[in-house]
Order: sequence, then C-alpha cells, then structure tokens
Amino acid sequence: MHANLIMVKDVITCRSDQTVAEAIEFLNTKTFRIIPIVDDDNHILGAVNTLTLLTHIVPEYIVNGYLQSVPFAPDIGLLRKHYREILQKSITEVMDVNPTVVREDESLLSVTAAMVTHDRFEYVLVVDAEQRLSGIISSSDILRAMDKFIPEKAFDA
Amino acid sequence: MHVLFGMNPIWVAVTILLVVYAAIMFEQFNRAVLSLLGAGLMILSGVLTQEAAIDGIDFNTIGLLTGMMVIVAISQKTGMFQYVAIKAAKLARGRPWGILVMLSVVTAVFSAFLDNVTTVLLIAPVTLLITDSLDVKPYPFLFSQILASNIGGTSTLIGDPPNIMIGSQAHLSFYDFFVNLAPIIPLIMLVTLLMIWLLFGRGLHASEEAQRLIMEFNEREAIKDIPLLKKSLFVLGLVITGFTCSHSLHLEPATIALFGAALLLLLESWKHNLHGKDKAFESIMAEVEWTTIFFFVGLFIVVTGVEHVGIIAWMAEKTLALTGGDFNATAAAILWISAIASALIDNIPFVATMIPLIENMAPTFGGDQMIVPLWWALALGACLGGNGSLIGASANLIVAGFAQRAGHPIGFIQFTKHAFLMMLVSIVIAHIYLYLRYLA
Repeated sequence: MHANLIMVKDVITCRSDQTVAEAIEFLNTKTFRIIPIVDDDNHILGAVNTLTLLTHIVPEYIVNGYLQSVPFAPDIGLLRKHYREILQKSITEVMDVNPTVVREDESLLSVTAAMVTHDRFEYVLVVDAEQRLSGIISSSDILRAMDKFIPEKAFDA
Repeated sequence: MHVLFGMNPIWVAVTILLVVYAAIMFEQFNRAVLSLLGAGLMILSGVLTQEAAIDGIDFNTIGLLTGMMVIVAISQKTGMFQYVAIKAAKLARGRPWGILVMLSVVTAVFSAFLDNVTTVLLIAPVTLLITDSLDVKPYPFLFSQILASNIGGTSTLIGDPPNIMIGSQAHLSFYDFFVNLAPIIPLIMLVTLLMIWLLFGRGLHASEEAQRLIMEFNEREAIKDIPLLKKSLFVLGLVITGFTCSHSLHLEPATIALFGAALLLLLESWKHNLHGKDKAFESIMAEVEWTTIFFFVGLFIVVTGVEHVGIIAWMAEKTLALTGGDFNATAAAILWISAIASALIDNIPFVATMIPLIENMAPTFGGDQMIVPLWWALALGACLGGNGSLIGASANLIVAGFAQRAGHPIGFIQFTKHAFLMMLVSIVIAHIYLYLRYLA
C-alpha cells in the first residue's frame, strides 16, 4: 500500500502573505491541526501546526535554556502577551520550514517510519513527482489503514 | 629538528600560533577545530614530535574541567540552582534592586565553584523569567550577572579556566588561590555593585502587583529529584573538601574532580539496568562542552611548539628588559596587560601563552617561590579583564545570546561603554591589593 491510497487529498493551505491570525482561524474551525504554506505552484514553503504556534508563545529562554519546565513559576501572563504579539505576524515568520514530507509512491512502512523518527507532529505532507503538495496523512489514517489488514476485524465488519 | 623544507622553525611556529589566534578572533569556525589544526601543523611541519606534543598537554587542566562539567551536568538536573536563585529573589521581597543584588551575589558565589559559562546558563533563564514577571528591562540584571560571574570566578582555582591553568602549571593549590585571591573579591564585588546602582539602580521600578507575583514563585517546586539532589550535594561536598585538602593529601585537582564525576555517575544511575546505565552515562557525556576540552588540547600543543623554538623565553627576556628587571613593575605590567588583552581577546589562549613566559622569568627573580605574586597578577588581570567588553569572556557572549533571543539584545558598544570603566576600577583595586600584600 502506498501513501497516495490513504492520504487525504482535500487540503487547506495558506499563502505566504497570510497572517498567523488567519492560520489560527483555520486551525480552530477545521479538523486538521496542521496547515501547509505553499507558493502559486503548490510547492511547499513550510507548515504551521498547533504545536509550532505554542512553541512560539512560550519564552525561548524556557524552551532552550536549562529550565525546560517551570513548575515553580506562577501564571505571569506571558503566554497571553506573546499570543497577542504573534497574531499579526506573517505566517512565514513562525512556520516550520522543514516539515516531514513523503512522496506519493512511498510505502506505508516508509511513511510511518518518517512520521515516527522525525518526532515532530502527527502529520506528514505528501508530494507528487514534481514536489507539489498532493495530500496529508495523519497518524490515525495509518492506524485505520492497518486495521483493514486484521482478518478477524474485517470479518466482524 | 627537521622542519619542513628547511624553513626556520621559529617562523613556522610563530606563524602557526598567530594564524590560529587570528582565526579564533575571526569567529567563523569552531575554535576546537582551529586549535587542533594548529596542533597538527606543529607536528606535521616538524616543530614538535608527537611525543613532545602530547607531553605539552596539561592533563590536569583537561581532567579538572571534564570532571567538573560532568558533576554540574548531573547536579543541574536536580533543579538546585534554580531553587537558590528563586529563594534569593524572594528574600529581596520582590524589589527589583534587591533582586538584582541577590542574583548577582548568587552568580558570583556559583561562579567561584562552577564554570562561569555554566553558571550563567543556569541563572540567566531564571533572571529573564523574573524580569518578565516584574515587567522590567532585563539589561541591568544580565549586565550585573556578567560582571558578577567573572568577578566570582576569579576567587578560586576552579572558578575560571585561566585559574585552572595557572594553578596546574605553577603548582598552586586550591587553598593557595582561596587565601590569596578570594579576600579581595568581596570588595571588588561591592564597588562594582555600587557603580551599577549609580548607573541603573535608581531607574528600577516595578509595580506592587508585579512584586507580589515574585512572592508567588514556589522555589520548592524547582527541586525535581530529591534522591539525586542528596547524591549531588554529597559528591559536591566531597569534591570541595577534597580540593581544600588536596595540598596536604598530595593530590592534583584533576584526580579529585574526575573521581567525584565517576562517583556521581555511579550513584546517579544506581537503580537502572546495565543498558539504562550506559544510556545515562552517554547522555551526561553529551553535555560536556567538548569544544572547550579539545580547544585546550590543541592550544596546549600550539603553545608548546612556540615554547619549544625558544620564542617565549625570548619574549620573557624582552619584557624583563622593558620593566628593567624590577619586580613591582613586572607585576604591574602583567596585571594591566592581562586585563586589557583579556578584554579584547579570549583569555584562555592569552593565559596559555603567558604561563611559560612567566615561568621563564623565575631565574631572574630568584626561583619559583619568588614569582608567586606574578601568578596572582596574571589571574586577577586575566579573569577580571574578561569584564572589559562583550567578547572578553565566553560567559558574556552566552548571556548576550539569551538576551538577544528573549528580544532584549545587548549591544557590544552599549555593554563596553558601561563595563570597561568598571573593569578598570576593579583592576585598580586589584593593583592596590597586590601592592599592599605582596610588593610593598
């Protein structure tokens, strides 16, 4: 089984001139928690997912310093402040420029391995032979596909 | 000596040294790679044999640094350093100037026993969290911590890499450093804080509400692992006691630090199975700053090469000619030149070159025992000089990096404008101290 058989083809994308606020609007209304950012030819420039956005509102010195978790700190309103600040930013300023990408003809094994080893988020973007975005695969898409191979389950159904 | 193409070994060695130092200042390549390339060239060009090169590496410095890095990498996981920082901020009742003083003092004390870079890596993020809570500009806080880390680091053998090198090569103990350098540090710290108060102190204000927020920090929550905390404190206590008694035990500091590191590595992963123990060891080893360690390895070889061709003895002669062989003038020259040089270039290669130079002066002044005050002049100059500019010490750049990424960049000119004068004042104090205690 190949990536193109299980991917979702109807993907919502953003253009590079859109703001973070617009991306959040999409993320809140649609079921996907990732939005690819593409150019006019549908080539992938990057992606924004819910986790990327959260990473940008937690102060950098907590994430990358020796702190990492701050169970001793009260709620100091930093998240709200940073959230307000990123809303008006261009989506290209916060996007992940190196999202996990697989080709349409990659095996399910390869797709799953790519998702697990990148250890970033539960989605991979799928591209065609010309590197244009053609779909998205989520971790639950893979589990559903695997389920079809279990004979007992197929019989019950 | 069979130097490549029959070239003059003096010029080959000096050229390699100058090219390596210039390339380090250029800041485009990893400094460990540069120093190792220089070390390799010293051997390939025939200035040194491999045997002579290996003999030139001071494994006492390497071992002490590595051992302390391992101990800190493990003990910082307990959250004990954050605990102390938050406790200190709360003791100041949330008042901004009080917090600035407390965090500076904590930084200075930690720096005396830990590497300066590690200290600021631990304290700077907590500081930013506190200034964000207070809604005040972090610059005065980070500025004073940079100065405090270099001042505090001056006070002990293990506080700053120049001291480690000096102690190791001049055979001075932890106790010697503590007795001779630590007494003047509180005064330098106090005067520096006074100057910082004149510069920033009156401008620091935070709302009542923000100050209450600081009191809501719960330092107890910072402690992540109590069993590991006990093990870390046990080993840290053992190691510091070991350093203090090392002289009478006839032990080198590297033995103590590496034994402590091995002991803490054993205790840390006591309950894991063998695979888990291997994993724990490897993850701690990954946190050791190998750039610094291998930088030292290469640097020692490069300096040995230059020493081997006799150029350092020649420079020592010239320096003595300049000071007329007068001991007081020589000590003053070492102090001031080290301070200015360390403000402008990395103090580690500078001190690595100065050590053999000072050793070469010993016969003139009547032997190794007589030149001990010169080592204190070098240590005070090189460590305190790091405060002279933003590139004066690695810790300065680490803090600047944090500030930049937190959206409050520290400018080179801005920092130097404030810090250079404070550095000069600290050197004046050091000069008076040296004069009264050793020279008068």
